[in-house]
Amino acid sequence: MYNDLLHALPNVFALTNFIAVVIGVIAGIVVGAMPGLSATMAISVLVPFTFGLEPLVALGLMAGIYNGAMYGGAIPAVLLRIPGTPAAVATTFDGYPMAQRGEGGFALQVAVVSSSIGGIASAFALMLLAPPLSRVTLLFGPSEVFWVAVFGLASIIFLLGGNPVKGLISACFGVFVSVIGSDPIFGNDRFTFGRLEMLDGINIVILLVGLYALPPVIDLLETPLKTDGVNSSKLGTESIWKALPRMKSYWKTWLRGSLIGIWIGILPGAGGSMAAFMSYNEARRTSKTPETWGEGEPEGVAAAEVANNADTASALIPALTLGIPGTAVAAVMLGGLLVHGLQPGPMLFRDNPDIVFGFMWQFLFGAILLVLLGGSLATNSFARLLNLPRPLLGAVIIVLMLIGVYTIHGRMFDVYLMLGFGAIGWVMDRLKFPLPPVVLGLILGGFAEENLRLALRIGRGDPMILFQNTTSLILVALTIAVIVGPTLKRRYFDSRMKM
Amino acid sequence: MHNIFKKTAIAGAMCLAAGAALAQGYPEKPIEVIVGYSAGGGTDVMARTAAPFIEKYLGEGASVVVKNVPGASGQIGVTEAANAAPDGYTLGTFNLPGMMARTIDRKADYDRDSFTYLANVVNDPNVIVTSKKSGLDTLDKLLEEAKANPGAITVGMSSLGGDDHFALIKLQNATGTEFTIVPFKGSAPARTALLGGHVAMGILNISEVAEFQDQLNVLGVATKERSQFAPDLPTFQEQGLDLVNGSMRGFIAPAGLPDDVRQKLMNAFSQLSGDQEFLDAMAATANPVEVVIGDDFKQLTSDLYDLAKGVWETTPWN
Repeated sequence: MYNDLLHALPNVFALTNFIAVVIGVIAGIVVGAMPGLSATMAISVLVPFTFGLEPLVALGLMAGIYNGAMYGGAIPAVLLRIPGTPAAVATTFDGYPMAQRGEGGFALQVAVVSSSIGGIASAFALMLLAPPLSRVTLLFGPSEVFWVAVFGLASIIFLLGGNPVKGLISACFGVFVSVIGSDPIFGNDRFTFGRLEMLDGINIVILLVGLYALPPVIDLLETPLKTDGVNSSKLGTESIWKALPRMKSYWKTWLRGSLIGIWIGILPGAGGSMAAFMSYNEARRTSKTPETWGEGEPEGVAAAEVANNADTASALIPALTLGIPGTAVAAVMLGGLLVHGLQPGPMLFRDNPDIVFGFMWQFLFGAILLVLLGGSLATNSFARLLNLPRPLLGAVIIVLMLIGVYTIHGRMFDVYLMLGFGAIGWVMDRLKFPLPPVVLGLILGGFAEENLRLALRIGRGDPMILFQNTTSLILVALTIAVIVGPTLKRRYFDSRMKM
Repeated sequence: MHNIFKKTAIAGAMCLAAGAALAQGYPEKPIEVIVGYSAGGGTDVMARTAAPFIEKYLGEGASVVVKNVPGASGQIGVTEAANAAPDGYTLGTFNLPGMMARTIDRKADYDRDSFTYLANVVNDPNVIVTSKKSGLDTLDKLLEEAKANPGAITVGMSSLGGDDHFALIKLQNATGTEFTIVPFKGSAPARTALLGGHVAMGILNISEVAEFQDQLNVLGVATKERSQFAPDLPTFQEQGLDLVNGSMRGFIAPAGLPDDVRQKLMNAFSQLSGDQEFLDAMAATANPVEVVIGDDFKQLTSDLYDLAKGVWETTPWN
C-alpha cells in the first residue's frame, strides 16, 4: 500500500493536475468567503463539468475547493462576524473581537496557518490510516451515533457558556427546524404545509445565511455613518514571518484540534461545525486564561480553524472505504468519484491506486498551498472590502446571499425561507439568544432522531438497546460529565474558598 | 367559395408539411433531460453516461443536456417532466418502483398516464445479504431462523416504499416468514450497519454489494438469470425460491408525444443495448443495463404500480 502511495506521486505533479489543485484552492477560498456560497455547493456545481476532465484534474479541483473553502469561511467570520460556511461559526467567537481590536490581520494569519495544519494532519490520516480508521466507523451503529449527537448537543448548550436556559431554547428551535420535512422512517410529512419544496427539510445553508448573515447586514445598513469598532477597518497585518513565532504556543491546541477534527470526520454526519465547536470547547477548558476566550483570544481562532480543516480528508475515509460520507461535502465528492467510475469500497484502493492515492496527495498539497495562497489573498484582497462604505458593503453581501441561496436548488422559495430565518435571527440577536445552538440543533437534531428511531427498531421497541455496549456507555458518561461538570466544578471551588 | 377551398387546402398542406418537418428536422435544438436528483447520484450518472450515446444514435447533430431538479425523492423533477410540452425537447428520468409508489403513499401531481414511456435502461436487481457476525450464511439457515423466531431478524434497507421493501414483502409472502424492517436513509448507511453487525440481514441492490463480496454473505440475486454484473452470484430461482425484484431507471417524455418523434427516440434508445462502449461505461458506474423499450416499459410500470398498490392495501408503510 505505501508503495502505491509513492507510485501515485509523480502523476500528481503533472502540470495540469497541479494547476487544478491551485485553482481549486483559490476558488475554494473565494467561495468559502462569500456568505451563502459553500464548498458543498461549489463542488455540486462542478460535478457535471468533470465528466469531460481527466480524473486527477477533476479530483484535484475538488480537493482544492474543499480545503480552500474551509479556510475561506473564516474571512468574513473574522472581518464581519458572518461565517462564510457552517464550519466557521466558532471562528466568529474570537476572530471578530480581534478584528474590532485592529488585529484582524493576525486573526486571519492564525486562521490560515491553523487551517493548513489541520488539513495536513487530516491528509496524513487519510493516506496512512484509512483502513484501520474505517473499522472505527463500523463500531458506530445507530445507538452509538445517537449518543454522539446527544453529546454534541449537550456540549454546545452547557459548555459554550452564557445562559444555559437561553442556549437550550436556541437548541430547541434548531431541533424543531430539523423536524420539518418528511420523517426519516415512514416518510410522513411534517410541517410542510403541502409544499414539495419542504419535503427534504431545511437546508443548513439557508438557515445559516438567514440567521448569521442578515442581522449583521442590517446593522451595516442601519448605521451608515459610524463603524462598529474604531479599529475594525484597520487590519494591522504584519509579515507572516513575524506572526509565526507568536503562534508557537498553540501547538497543543493544534494537536488536540487535529485529533478532534479527524475523529469527527470519520463519524458519519456531524461534520466541520461540530469539530470546530468541540475543539474550541476543549481548548478553552484546558486554557490557563479561559476568561479571555470570546473576547478576542487568538488561540480560539486557532482551535476552531484547525479542527474544521482536520475533518476534510478524514471525512473521506468512511466515504471511500464504506460509501458513507462523513460530511455533506464528502457526500457530493462521492458523486464526483462515481462519475469517474471510482466506486467506494474495499476494492477501490486495489483497483485504482494511482487515482485514489493521487487524490490523497492532492489533499495534502491543497492544505500546504493554503498557507501560500490563502494568507496573501485574504489580507490583500478580501480585507480591502472593509474600506468600502458600510451601506455598499451591506448591499454587496445581500446580493451574494440571495444568489447563494437561490442556487442551492434554483428556486425562489428558498430565498423567502432564508429571509424568514433572517427575521428570526435578527430578533434572537437583539434578545441575546445564542445562535450557534440553532445551527447545531438543526444538524444534530435530525441525526439524533433518525438514529434513535433506527436503534429502537433494531431493539424491537426495547430502549435498553441504547445502553447495550461499551461505546454507548462511554458516550453516555461523557454526556453526563458535560451537563453536570461545570456545576460540580463551581461547587468544588466554592467550598474550597469557604475553607 | 372556390377561393376558400383553395386557401384551406393550402393551409392544410402547410400544416402537414410543418408536421412532417417537425419530425424530419427533430431534433433541431438541444433536448433537455430532467433528472430529479442531484448531480453525481446514481440516476444522474446514468443520464449523463447515456447522453452522448443518445446523441450519437439520434444523429443530425443532436445535443442532450442534463438538468438536475433535485428534491422530494425525485418527485419535483418528474412532475416538471410530466407537465412539460410534449414536443420531444423535454425528457425526464424515471425510477421504478419509486415514482409509482409515490403516487400511492402521498399526493402526486402525476400518475402513470402522464408519460410517454421511452425506455428503461438500468435494472439493478435486489440481493439478500447477511452480516458475517450473524452466522446466517445460507438462504436455508436464514429462512429457518426466520421461521423459528418470527420478527427476530433485523433487515437493513434503504427506505420504505422502495424496491428493497417490496422485495422483502415478496420474500415474506413466498416463505411465510416475518422480519423486522430497519429503514436507513439510503443504502450505504444500511450496508455499513451490516458490515458493523448492527443489523443481521440486508436487502440491497447488486451494484451496491459487488465491491463488498468478501465482507458480507451474499445469499442470492433476485433475477431470472444470473446477472451479467456479477455472474458468480447465484439467483434465488436456482435455490428454489421464486423472487424477482429490482430497482429500475429509465427515460420518459410527457404524455402525448408525436408518434414520429417518439419512434425516433425509441430507435435511438433501443440501439444502446448493442453498444459495447455504452455497456462498459455503465458497468464502470455501477449501472447494470437492461433495456426495455416503449410499450413493454409501459407494461412494466403498470405491473409495478399494481404490485405497490397491492402491498399498500394490505400493509401500508406510513
